[in-house]
Amino acid sequence: MDQRKRMVFVFCLAGLLGCLVFLWQRFYELSRGEEREFEIYDRHYVMITGREDSDLWDRVYESAQEEGKKRGVYVERFGEELAVEYSRNELLRLAMQASVDGIIVPGDEEEETIALLQEVVEQGIPVVNVLQDSTGSIRQCFVGNNSYNLGQEYGRQILELLAEEEDDNPREEEPADVLVLVDETRMDTSQNLILLGIRETLEDAEKEIGKVSVETSLVDNSRSFSSEESIRDIFLNSERLPDILVCLSAVHTRCAYQAAVDYNKVGTVQILGYYDSDAILDAVAKKILYCTIAPDTEQMGRLCVQALDEYVETGYTNNYMAVDTRLIRAREAERLVGE
Amino acid sequence: MEQTRFFRAPGAFLKKKWRYLTLQQKLTALFLMTAVVILAVNLYMFTLINKMTGRVEEVYVSNVNLNELSGALDLVQKSMEEYLNTKSSDAMEDYYRSEQAYRELMEGLNSETTDNEMLLTEKNIRGLSESYLDLAAEAIQAKRGRNVEKYGQLYEDAELLYDEIHTFIYSLNNAQFKDNSRNYQALLDSLRYMEFISIGVLLLVLLGNISLIVVSTRSVTRPLHQLAEAADEISGGNFEIDRLPVQSMDEVGIVTNTFNEMVENIRNYIEQLRATMERENQLKERELMMQSHLKDAQLKYLQAQINPHFLFNTLNAGAQLAMMEEADRTGRFLENVAEFFRYNVRKNDEDAALREEIHLVDNYVYILNVRFAGEILFTKEVDESLLNVRVPSMILQPLVENAFNYGIRNISWTGRIELSVYQKGEEICISIWDNGAGMEQERIEQVLSGRVQEAEAGAGGNGVGMKNVMERLRLYFRDQAGLRIFSEGKNTGTEVLITIPAGQEEQSCIE
Repeated sequence: MDQRKRMVFVFCLAGLLGCLVFLWQRFYELSRGEEREFEIYDRHYVMITGREDSDLWDRVYESAQEEGKKRGVYVERFGEELAVEYSRNELLRLAMQASVDGIIVPGDEEEETIALLQEVVEQGIPVVNVLQDSTGSIRQCFVGNNSYNLGQEYGRQILELLAEEEDDNPREEEPADVLVLVDETRMDTSQNLILLGIRETLEDAEKEIGKVSVETSLVDNSRSFSSEESIRDIFLNSERLPDILVCLSAVHTRCAYQAAVDYNKVGTVQILGYYDSDAILDAVAKKILYCTIAPDTEQMGRLCVQALDEYVETGYTNNYMAVDTRLIRAREAERLVGE
Repeated sequence: MEQTRFFRAPGAFLKKKWRYLTLQQKLTALFLMTAVVILAVNLYMFTLINKMTGRVEEVYVSNVNLNELSGALDLVQKSMEEYLNTKSSDAMEDYYRSEQAYRELMEGLNSETTDNEMLLTEKNIRGLSESYLDLAAEAIQAKRGRNVEKYGQLYEDAELLYDEIHTFIYSLNNAQFKDNSRNYQALLDSLRYMEFISIGVLLLVLLGNISLIVVSTRSVTRPLHQLAEAADEISGGNFEIDRLPVQSMDEVGIVTNTFNEMVENIRNYIEQLRATMERENQLKERELMMQSHLKDAQLKYLQAQINPHFLFNTLNAGAQLAMMEEADRTGRFLENVAEFFRYNVRKNDEDAALREEIHLVDNYVYILNVRFAGEILFTKEVDESLLNVRVPSMILQPLVENAFNYGIRNISWTGRIELSVYQKGEEICISIWDNGAGMEQERIEQVLSGRVQEAEAGAGGNGVGMKNVMERLRLYFRDQAGLRIFSEGKNTGTEVLITIPAGQEEQSCIE
């Protein structure tokens, strides 16, 4: 009896202790709150990105941040968390006024941008243009694709596509239509260089495949959602509907293939895309897109930070750092989707 | 010295201290200990709860600070505008005061590059504020220099930046508010957990205290229990108990010690008593043996005086003399007397065959008849087969003597005594009957119950009375023999009937 009482007592004690330990643990976790631990970095770089192609910019930013952490640099996605949506140039000016240590920003050829970049650089803040260049500015470096090469790659894909179609269904005298979607608001020279690359490649092959008409369609990007509407307009107007549609941004690619699916134009219009988001890869795998050309976002982010660091530490850096691109066709897309 | 001992073995030191405390001190210490534990736990809980409450109060401090910063920025902007508008020295003063206040508040903002977004925003606000204050200062300077175009432009830039800083502060405020709200909720939840923990800890302390009290009081009451058990044993008469262990030097310890000594003393006392009694017994035994030897000596002395051999020889010599003088009757008388005495001496403490007893009665009656000139008519009716039955010696002669002395001695008619021995069923009956004075029933009862005075009984006898006969019969036959007296009253004669169990002959033969 005495033994039983003792056992009951010990069990009660153990149970109570267990409950207390559990409660104390919960209490400790809760009372500690969210005291996030943080690290101090030597330098503060900011990355200013457009609102569009957020997936692409996310990847570039992630890579830049990762590279930065290795080098004792914190890369901030500037203006992302602000209650007011500022333009790229406003953010650029604010970053300058906040006295950051370096700025990564997509450029353009606008005078205002060039002037602002000048001001920033004069303040002693190095600037790296990413993806799009401000060739007229005194920015320290441009990290991006070689647009002309990119155009040539698109041209080669168009040629392969036309050759395949020729085999399946011989074309009559009528020239093939290629429509390149051009961002109206994008004021850098990269689109022109891409177009040049396409055109020159196609002209070089004119003898074999005949004349190919390459036209551009300006996509209104000035307002939110306007680009999607512009692309749908192309599909609605069957007279304007080309044989091949070349998209130079991830957003345009997604809008175009969605419109092709919605208006049952898959196969009628062959789409060449840009970028390798999951949705785009899926579309390539399903052959809604003929192919897509994707920049190496990891390399892009890494090179941006490297260029800035190089400049801060040594006072000079390469004017241009090329980022590799990758052509993805259906088979590889399938593999990537599988992964 | 004591201190060093304490540091060497604090447990042993405390144990030793505890042993020497009195009961009152022990109970007080116990109460104080439990009270102190509960007090300490409560204090700790209160401190923790206070700390938590303080933290809850501080949750939104960062928002308050930001609002303050925002307010200070407004003042700077307002005073700058005022100065640019009026160029008044008051506005100037306001501007410098507000700028100073704003700078002080800015000092509270983070200036390090961190991977915490909110801290980084603080750093940005700080940088922007520096730029803003520079612009404002330049604008003021330009106003002083009356450079209208410049201060106008600078004011516009400052105003733009002012709005933008507000946006930054607002955004940071929002982010912090979200974060703080989460923390606030978590703190509220943790306070709820705190309540449960407090109850749990108090329960735990309660259980701990209960066990402490149980253990401690047991150490106090265990010796008492042992003492009670030992006292119980002692009261039951068992003094052979072990010495009780003395575990403490408190009152119970003292009582236990005293009890041990008391038991020891009682045991010693009993031992002494036993020895004394043994000694006394030995003394008594010795005294009795002395008396017995004295009696023996006295008897031997008497026996020496009445030497039976001398008596027999004398009587025999008398008998032979009578024979020689041809006095035959005298000779027979003397022979009978000699036999009577010889039997008396020889058989004093032994049993005898019924034959011998009857022969003794014959001798006795012969002597009586010589003494009293043949007054007694004595008859015998004896079953010959019973003559070997063993009976205690000297039982018939006294009865015959009684029959003569109290029955027929003083009667006017011829006295008769009749002795009959016969078997009746499982009993042998020995009857001595006389036709003498008889006895009242009351007298019979007195005689049988032994209430007759010895002197009275033995007045005319040879010292062996009725009571003696009855006692010896009882002892010899182990209460199986009987002695009854029959008489129908005065002058009706008396019969004394002895009944003994049959089979005494065989028994005696075996013996």
